[in-house]
Order: sequence, then structure tokens, then C-alpha cells
Amino acid sequence: MARSRTETVILYAVVISVIVILVFPLYWMFNTSLAPSTQLRRFPPVFIQPEPTFAAYERIFNERPVGLWLRNSALVALASTALSMFVSILAGYSISRIRARGSQAIGLFFLMSRMLPSTLIIIPLFVSFRQFQLIGDLKSLVLAHATFITPFAVWMLKGYFDTIPSELEDAAMIDGCTPLSALLRVVLPLSAPGLAATTLYGFVLSWNDFVFARTFLVANQDAWTVNVGVASLKGEYLTEWNEIMAGSLIAMLPIVLAYLFLERFLVSGLTAGSSK
Amino acid sequence: MTSQSFGQGEPALRRLNGVSPRWSLWQPGNRQLFAYLLLLPAVLLTAAIIVYPILSAIDLSFQRIKIAKLGRERAPLTLRNYEELFQSPEFFQAIWVTISLVATVTLLSYVIGLATAVMVNQQFRGRKLARILVAVPWAVPSVMAAIIWWWLFDSSFGLINWALVRSGLSGEMIPWLSTPGAATFVIVIVMVWKGYPFISVIMLAGLQSIPLELYDAAKVDGASAWGRFRFITLPGLRSVRGIALILIMLWVFRDFPIIYLLTGGGPQGTTQTLAIMTYQEAFKFHDFGYAAAIGVITLIISVVASWFMVRRSDEPLF
Repeated sequence: MARSRTETVILYAVVISVIVILVFPLYWMFNTSLAPSTQLRRFPPVFIQPEPTFAAYERIFNERPVGLWLRNSALVALASTALSMFVSILAGYSISRIRARGSQAIGLFFLMSRMLPSTLIIIPLFVSFRQFQLIGDLKSLVLAHATFITPFAVWMLKGYFDTIPSELEDAAMIDGCTPLSALLRVVLPLSAPGLAATTLYGFVLSWNDFVFARTFLVANQDAWTVNVGVASLKGEYLTEWNEIMAGSLIAMLPIVLAYLFLERFLVSGLTAGSSK
Repeated sequence: MTSQSFGQGEPALRRLNGVSPRWSLWQPGNRQLFAYLLLLPAVLLTAAIIVYPILSAIDLSFQRIKIAKLGRERAPLTLRNYEELFQSPEFFQAIWVTISLVATVTLLSYVIGLATAVMVNQQFRGRKLARILVAVPWAVPSVMAAIIWWWLFDSSFGLINWALVRSGLSGEMIPWLSTPGAATFVIVIVMVWKGYPFISVIMLAGLQSIPLELYDAAKVDGASAWGRFRFITLPGLRSVRGIALILIMLWVFRDFPIIYLLTGGGPQGTTQTLAIMTYQEAFKFHDFGYAAAIGVITLIISVVASWFMVRRSDEPLF
């Protein structure tokens, strides 16, 4: 369909101005992270840094334990995702393939668990974790994050297993595979993209958590995740905004990259369980 | 040697007769058992970290307990927490704040999400990049979204205050987060900014499933741009719209980091949702029983909403 010249100009003008407005906060974050501290408490604001500096980045790594926070976040995300994936692969496969009495109800339970408010579940978890002396320990987060990764992963994986014809496993078993090795050697390699996407998203969910990390770890600074640490840089009276922006950018960069890969998986994965 | 080669031949022979070589979990009689074995690890894990905690939260909500400890003497069961809750103006304020926040954020996210989806569904050069940029705030973690806007709305050196004063729209710097009304406005802005891309991405997928021939035919019949949008685009999105809206609503309903970081529920409770109130009662005022009661009510509302989501699907779930 041909468009007139005016229409094209208007379209571009609209697209560019809308995008500038929506993305500006991210630019402002980046711009602030490159600003020298002296500039932050002065007007007018500087929209393009004449002499960008990485001083804020250097300071947060040298004077604040950002490296440690990043390591903690990564450890928790890896462990909670591994734990969730192990149980979710088996459960998702079971729900996808075998009609057993009660397994529908279990599947529905996982679906409903995705709606669980974390501000409710955190109360009894806090009580139990304190009893087992897990408060202040990264292990508490690994378990807490599994509460929201597992229900999601079961459904996303079930969706992938549904797309793989079960004749393939039947054939493998006729050739002498046990059901478990058919799952491991036939189904899992075929669902590699789905497994990768689910794992990556589990990692993202864990990395993004704030409420559990803040509540369970607040007293133990060495165990802080990057979200808790960066949020703590906001001071009561004086905030070095260039440092907090540099920290935020570093903390969100892996997540933004993950989303670029995940986008098309997420549209189908998040809506799993509803009709198309 | 001979017995071994005989052993290898035997299963093949049995297979020919349609008999499985050995006892197998895949046999029809054992498949149920296999299904349960596969579900077992997930069921045990969720029993420990989801089911048991929910039950114990419900139990807590019926006890007057300040700081709860496992294994200590139980307080007697009582309805006091719920009675107190239903007499508390703070609770009804929180319900009102939650409902109006959910409605406002959902509506605005829907309008902006749909508009941006239609926009990047047009044919133009650079469309791929535009699609990524429009979706990018979705990927920003809530904590970081709150921090970015915190700085933009900063009361002394924030860009927004500077722009308002500079343009003459405001005579003075506005202390956004400590002014009732203004604080709500900031929360809505942050949530919409983080929430609209999700609608946009889902709507774009919906738009791409509408056959282009419909638009061509409507053009031939002389339909206006608005007519095409009203009678082709909107009905074509019906299938994805419901789920997108419900997921956004549940997200706003349960959000913690954005409100907690920016206002903590203040000023004067004007941004205190049920989720924030639950958390503050438990971890600020250490009133675990009372907090659990609010949480249980939040859970009931969540479950009813998600049940609605499951119900509305026309196809069976499995």
C-alpha cells in the first residue's frame, strides 16, 4: 500500500517522538552515570556530557562491594533455577504426557501458584527460615525463589513437551530405551530451545527479586544481592545519583540482554494455560 | 559366549510378538505410577515451600501473635485479627488504593500498549529497531525502574521539577513523593512505564495474526481508518486482550518493589496497597497475625481473579 509523502513524514515524526519519550528515562540513567558528582546538584541539567567520566563506575567497584553483590545474585539465580528446573522438567513431562488421576489437579495448582502474592508467602517463610537459622543465608533465597520459578517453569516446559510428538519416545522405547532414558535422550535434546528459554527466564526472575532478598538478608551485608545493594545506595539525605545509576545499569544489563533473546518465548510462555 | 548372543536375540523376538522385553514403567498398567514418580520431586518441593507456608499463614491469621516462632506455644484461635481488620479505616483505604491503582494502571497501560503495538505494526524502515525500543522498559527490573524515576522526580535536583519550574508550569519545586496525590501520580507513571510494553508485545503478536486481506477488502469498501480499527483490529485482538489485561492487573495488585522503594505506602497511606500493608504490618510493626490476615484476604482476591482467568479459556487446559 503506497503512502503519500506527508503521511510518511507524519508517521516517522510520531514514531520518533513516541520512542524518545518512552526511552528517555533510560537515556537519562546512562547520562547521569557518566556525570561527575559536582554536576548532580546544579542546574541547568546537562543533557549530553561534554566530558563523560567512568569515575562513578570505578567508585562503586572500588568503594562498594558491587562485585560481591553481583556474585551473590548470580549464585542464587543459578542455584534456584537449577533446583526448579530439575523438578519442573519431570513434572512438566508427566503433565504433558501421561493422564494420571490427580495430575490435572496438580497442574492446575501450579498454574494458580503463579498468582500467589509474595508478600503473603514471605511471612510464614520468614518464620520457618528463622527457625532453621537460614535468615541472612543465601540458601533462604534459593528456596524462596523456587516458590515462583517452579510454577512458571512447569507450565512453560509442559507447553514445549506438548509440541514434541510422543511417537518419538514410543519408537525409542521399542528400541529398548527405558522411559526415563527416552526422556533424557530423545525429548530433552529436542526441546533444547525451550529448556534454554525457561532456564534463562528462571534466572531473570530470581535476579529481579527484591522482596525476599531485602527481608531475609537485610542484616547480613555480605549476602546482599545486587538489587538490595543498589537500592541501599539511595541515601536518606544525600544520594550520589551517578553511582546509583551506574550500579543500576550494571545490574540490569544482563536482564535486558536476556529479554532480547526471550521475547518471543515469553509471549507464548506467559500466556500458557489460557486459550489462544 | 553362546548364551550371551542368545540373550541379545531374545528381546527382539519378544518385541516381534508385541511383548515388552522387561517390566517397564511405560506399560499401560504402570504408567500412572511413572506419572506420579515424575511429579513427586515437584510435589515435595512445593509442599514444603508453598503449601505448608500458605497453611501456616492461614493458621497465623487466626492467632494474636506479635513475632511468631515455630514450636512455641500456640496462641488460642481467634477471629480478632479479622474483626480488627474490618473495623480499620486503614484497611478500607488500602482496598480503595489497590482498586484504583489497578484500574488506572491497567487502563493507561492498555491504551499506550495498544497504541504502540499498532504503531510498530505499520510498514516503515527501522521497524525492527522501533519494536525493540518500544518493548525495552519491560526488561527493566522493577527495582531499577523505581530508581530511575526516583531520580527524575527528585524533589531538589530532579529533571522533571526543573522542567516544570523552567517552563513556568509550577512556581516551585514539588516534593513529589511526600505530597498526597503527587505520590500516587508518580507510582502510576512508573507502573505504566514498566507495564505498557507487556501489553504492547502481546498485542503486536495479536495484530500479526489478523489477515491483511481484511484491511484491503475494507479499504475497497470505503471504510475509514477509524472504521478499520474499530471493526477489524479491535475484534481481532479479542483473544489476546483478556489474558494481557488480567496479567497486568495481577502484577499491579501484587507489586511490592516499586511502591515500597518510592513511598513505602505513604504519604498518609495514600499509596498503601494491600500488598504493602501486609508487608509493613509484618516487618515494620512485627504484627505477624494481623499481617497474615491481610495477606489471606489478598490471596483470596488473587485466587478468585486467577480462577476467572482459567475459567475464561474456552479450550480445555490439558
